[in-house]
Amino acid sequence: MRNSFIRILVIALVIAVIGVLSIYSSTYQKEGTLWQDIYKRQILWLVIGVVCFFLMSGFNYRKLWDASYFIYGLALLLLLLVFSLGIIRLGAQRWLRFAWFNFQPSEFAKLAVIIFLARYFSRKSERDISLLSRKFGIFRGIALPFIFAAMPMFLVIEQPDLGSGLMILLAFVSLLYLTDVRLKYIIALLIILVLPLPFLWNFLRPYQKGRLLVFLNPNIDPLGAGYTVIQSRIAIGSGGFLGKGWLSGTQSQLYFLPESHTDFIFATFSEQWGFLGSALLIFLYYLLIRQGFIIAGRTQDSFGKLLAYGISILLALQVFINIAMNMGLAPVVGLPLPLLSYGGSSILVTFVALGILVNIDRTRAVF
Amino acid sequence: MERRKLFVYFISLMFVVLLAGLLNLNVLQGAKLRRLSKSNCIRLISQSGARGNILDRNEQIIAGNKISYDVMILPQDPGQVEQALALVSRILGVGQQELKIAFKKNFVSSSLPACVANNIDPKKAILLEEHKAEEPAVIIQPKPLRYYPYGSSACHVIGYVNEIDRWRLTKLEDYGYKTKDIVGFGGVEEKYDYYLRQEEGGLSVEVNHRGKFTRVLGFQPPVNGRDVRLTLDIRIQKIAEGALSGRKGSVILMDPQTGAILALANYPDYNPSVFVNKRSALISALFNNPDSPLINRAIQSSYPPASVFKVAVASAGLELKKIDLSTNFLCRGSTMVGARKFSCWDTHGAQDIIQAISHSCDVFFYKTGLLAGGQGIHDYAIKLGLGKPSGFDLPYETGGFIPSPLWRKINKFQKWFDGDTANLSIGQGECLTTPLQLTAMMAVFANHGYLPSPYIIKAVGGLDLEAKKKKLAAVGFKQSTFEAVRKGLREVVSDAKGTGNILSALPVAVAGKTGTAQVSRGLTHAWFVGFFPYDKPEYVICVFLESGGPGHAATVIARQIIEEMNKQGLI
Repeated sequence: MRNSFIRILVIALVIAVIGVLSIYSSTYQKEGTLWQDIYKRQILWLVIGVVCFFLMSGFNYRKLWDASYFIYGLALLLLLLVFSLGIIRLGAQRWLRFAWFNFQPSEFAKLAVIIFLARYFSRKSERDISLLSRKFGIFRGIALPFIFAAMPMFLVIEQPDLGSGLMILLAFVSLLYLTDVRLKYIIALLIILVLPLPFLWNFLRPYQKGRLLVFLNPNIDPLGAGYTVIQSRIAIGSGGFLGKGWLSGTQSQLYFLPESHTDFIFATFSEQWGFLGSALLIFLYYLLIRQGFIIAGRTQDSFGKLLAYGISILLALQVFINIAMNMGLAPVVGLPLPLLSYGGSSILVTFVALGILVNIDRTRAVF
Repeated sequence: MERRKLFVYFISLMFVVLLAGLLNLNVLQGAKLRRLSKSNCIRLISQSGARGNILDRNEQIIAGNKISYDVMILPQDPGQVEQALALVSRILGVGQQELKIAFKKNFVSSSLPACVANNIDPKKAILLEEHKAEEPAVIIQPKPLRYYPYGSSACHVIGYVNEIDRWRLTKLEDYGYKTKDIVGFGGVEEKYDYYLRQEEGGLSVEVNHRGKFTRVLGFQPPVNGRDVRLTLDIRIQKIAEGALSGRKGSVILMDPQTGAILALANYPDYNPSVFVNKRSALISALFNNPDSPLINRAIQSSYPPASVFKVAVASAGLELKKIDLSTNFLCRGSTMVGARKFSCWDTHGAQDIIQAISHSCDVFFYKTGLLAGGQGIHDYAIKLGLGKPSGFDLPYETGGFIPSPLWRKINKFQKWFDGDTANLSIGQGECLTTPLQLTAMMAVFANHGYLPSPYIIKAVGGLDLEAKKKKLAAVGFKQSTFEAVRKGLREVVSDAKGTGNILSALPVAVAGKTGTAQVSRGLTHAWFVGFFPYDKPEYVICVFLESGGPGHAATVIARQIIEEMNKQGLI
C-alpha cells in the first residue's frame, strides 16, 4: 500500500526532472531573462505540485464524492471566466491571470469532468458497490452524462483548445466503456458523433483544418502548418541511438522546432537523448500508467475505481496523443505532455490527480 | 471484467505503437532525418560578383560598379529579430515597421539571411559593424552596385538594371535566372545580360547548436560578369548629347566604312541610377512621362523620312535607267499627277538630278518616281536597308515600313494610284523609317556602295567581335549612280541655294540631305542625314528632331556637332 505511493512519486519525479532538464536545454540560449528563468518557474511549479501530491494523498478521496457537483460547477465557471477575462496568447484565449501566474482552467476541467462522471456512475454506499450504470437506460446512461461532458468540452474547444476538448471526449467514451454501459449505446453515440463530422469541418478554424490536412500529408505545406511536424520528426529521427547529448540538440536550439519547451518537448528530449532515452521515457510513462490501472483494478469502491480509471486514462491518452503528435502519427492539437512540458497548470493538475490516485489506493485498505 | 482487461491491453498497445514510431523514425528513417537535420545547421552566406562593365571604344567606363552596403538579418527567433531590427532602425533612422515589412518580404528560409535595407551610407555601415558583437544576427553585406560615371549619357544604349519581372522570368527561367535577380532592361544591359551577368558565389558554413560558426563546408567564388566594350566614343556621345539637349529627337554618328556606331543620343533621356537607388517616385514619373524618355527613338520608333528618301528615289531612277545625268524636269512650283495637283515647296525652274537633290525639288522627284514606279522605288529602298530591321545589337528595333503596290494589293485589297507613287517619291505617306536606317542608307553613298549593318558592340569579355565581322555587302549599284548622288549631296551644302548651305562654312567638307516631314498634327519633323569629310568619309551623321520644325533646325544641330568635334580635334 505504501508501495504505490513511493512508486508513483518516484516515477513522477524522475519524469518531471527530465522535463526541467529539457526545458532548460531548449530555452537557456534564448535572449531575455524571461526565457532563461523559465526552468526555475517549472521547478517552482514542481515543488508546489509535489506538495499538492502529499496533501491529496492524505485527503480522503471520498470527500470528492460530495464535492463533485461543486468541482464541476467551479470548472464551468472558470471556463466561462476565460472567455471574459482570459488573456490571449498565441492566438488562443486559454489562460486566467492570477496574482503572479497564469492558470489554464482547461487542465482543471479535464480532472473535474472525470470526478463528476465517476460520481455520476457510482454509489456512495459502502455496502452496495455495484455500479449504477448497469441499471441505466439510454437517457441516463448516455444522453445525460454526455450533456454534462459536452458543456465543458464545448467551452474548451471554443477557446480554442481542440486538444483538451478532444481529451475530455475520449476520456468520456472510455469511462462509458469501463463503466459497463451497454455496448450498443456506446456504438450509437459514436455513430452520432462521427456522422456530423463533415459538417463540423466547416466550424473548424483555418489553422485547425490546416493541421488536420497536414497530418495526412505534412509536405503539402512545409513552411506553414506542416513545418512543426517536419521539424519535430527531424529532431526525433536525428537523435540516433544515444542522442546528440544534453544542450546540444541543433533542431531545438537553432529555433527550427517551435514550441520546443511545451507541446514539442518530447522531440527536444528525444533529439538530445536518442532512441535509448526516448524508449526509457516511454517506459517510465507506461509504468506510471500501469500503476494507475493496478490501483483501479484492486479498488472495490465503485467511485474510487472509476476515478482511478479515469485519471489513468487521462494520463495515458495525453501521453499517447502528445508523443504520437511529435512523431507525426497524430494531428497537431495543442496538448502538453504531462509532467514533461512546461506549464504550471498541467503539472499541478497532474500531481493532484496522482495524489488522488495514491489516496484511492491507501483508502482501499480501510475497508 | 472482460472490458477492463481489454482496455488495459489497448492502453499497452498504444505504448507499443509509440515504441514502433520511435523505431521507425530513429532506425528506418534515421539516415534521412539526420541528413535533414544536418542541412538545418548549414548557413548560406552569399557573395555577389560584379556585373560586367560597359565600356566605350577607348575603355572609358560608361556603366561600372561601386561597392554598396546592404543590411541583412539572419532569421532566428522572433525576439532576436525584433531586437536586431530595433538596432538597425535606430542607426539608419528608418521606421522599425518598415524594416519589418522588408524583412518579411525578403525572407526565404531560416538558413538564409534576409535583406532589410539596401545601399546604406558607408558611415552607417561601419557604425552597424561596430555593434556586431551585441547583435550577431545583423550582417553587413558589401555588394557591387551599378554606377554610371557619365550620368544619363548614352542611357538608351546602355539601358538600366532592375529586379527581374514576371514576363522575363518566365522566358529566362531555363537559363538559370531566379526571382529577385537583377537583370538588364533595354539596351546593351538587356541584350547582353547573359554575358554581363555575374554569378553568385557564396560560403556554406556549418553552425553548432548555438548558431556559432564551426567550419566552412564549401566556398564557391563569385564570378564577375564579362565586360562589354562598345564602339561608342563617349567624347562624341557627349558632344551629340550636348547639341541635342532640350530638343526631342535623336542623333547618330556612325563609321560608314564598318557600320560602327560612334554616338547614339536621344532626348528626352533619363538617369539609369534612379533604378539602382529604387527612387520609386522618379521611376513612375519616367514611365508616366508623355514624352516617353525610356524610348530609344533612334531605333524604336519610325518616322516619315521625307526628303531624305529622295536619295533612294534618285538611285532607283538612275539604276532603272528612267533618268540619267542629263535628264531635266521643269519645276513650276507644282505638277499634276492624274487629276491632282502636287506642289513643290518652291519654284525651282529646270532641274537636273544634282540640282534637284541639292534644292530638294519635289517636282523633279514626283516625275522621277512616276517613271520608276511605286514597286521600283520600294525595291531600291529595300536594297538600301529601309523597311526592315537592320539587325542592330540593341533590342526592340523596329523595322519601319516602305509601302508598295504589291503590299497594298495583298494586304489591303486596294489599288495603288500614281498619287501614292508621288507621295512615296518624297518620302511621305505610309513610308516610315528609323533614324538608324537612314544613317545606314547614307553610309552606302559615303563608302561607294556598301550597306553596313550598324553595330555597337566592339568586344565581349575580351573577345573582339569587330574582327569577326563579315565584309560589308555591296548593294550592286553602278558607280555612276553613287557619283551622281554623292555630288548632289555635296551640292546640298556647297550650293548657295542648297538646303544645307549653313554647313558650308565648316572647315570640313560635309555632304548630306535635309528633310522636313509633314505630319498630320503639330510641327514637322526635321531631318539631316549626311557624311563628312566628303572625300574620305569618316562619319555618317543623322540628326532627327521629332516635331522639331523644318529640316533647317536639324542642320543647325549637325553644324554644332561637327564644329565641336572639329574643335576637340576628333575629325
